[in-house]
Amino acid sequence: MPDQLNYAFSALADPTRRAILARLANGDASVSQLTEPFAITMPAITKHLKVLERAGLISRTRLAQSRPCHLEPAGFKAIADWLEFYRNFWDQSFDRMDSYLKTLQRPTKGRKKK
Amino acid sequence: MINTQNAADRTITIDRTFNAPPETVWALWSNPEHLKNWWGPNGFTNTFESFDFRPGGDWRFVMHGPDGKDYANLNRFVEIEAPTRLVIDHLVFPLFRLIVTFEAFDGKTRMLFQQVFDSIETLNTVKPFAIPGGQQTFDRFANYLAEHSA
Repeated sequence: MPDQLNYAFSALADPTRRAILARLANGDASVSQLTEPFAITMPAITKHLKVLERAGLISRTRLAQSRPCHLEPAGFKAIADWLEFYRNFWDQSFDRMDSYLKTLQRPTKGRKKK
Repeated sequence: MINTQNAADRTITIDRTFNAPPETVWALWSNPEHLKNWWGPNGFTNTFESFDFRPGGDWRFVMHGPDGKDYANLNRFVEIEAPTRLVIDHLVFPLFRLIVTFEAFDGKTRMLFQQVFDSIETLNTVKPFAIPGGQQTFDRFANYLAEHSA
């Protein structure tokens, strides 16, 4: 499990952070715009943003004074790929299981198969 | 403890039929000499450090990837009902539970496999747009968040 995914999963585990992401899905927003709908302080929101940023789920531009936040699709793609990894993991394991089973069942010499 | 209630949306389900009776298929899970030969994706090999096949028993092993990387694993057996049901917890990140049932039919075995992820909130969030073949991951994620965070 790469660190980045680890961060992404812990970042998504928090309902406030998911709500922030939902807000950003509608368009970029500054910290004060993001703080508005929540009953928490701006420093608390900033802390959440740092977690999301470290997880690669959002980025903050340095071009504007308000440093608006926006979603980073690549971060979400990594999580979706990870689930796909597990599906492949088992599909391939069970294919191997099936082949292995066939080698075990190969008739031994002198034993007739019906 | 891994919660498996209301887990449909954080579960990977695989349904497979093997051309052997349940006792034979069960042995591929319960006997480490068999298990190590098929566990893991193509190109992986396994070194088992311990395999204590009883409820509460640990199974420590290292998976060796085709790229030369090693992955340490710790699993624990939770339920063992030969040859019909096996429950295993995966105790290193990401936490998940494996529930495998074996059903005899027509001389074959239907194996129903479930991987239930522990990170409830996380996987609830992720699963809907991680459907195989789905290319619009991001759009769907945006829609999903909008619906679930109101």
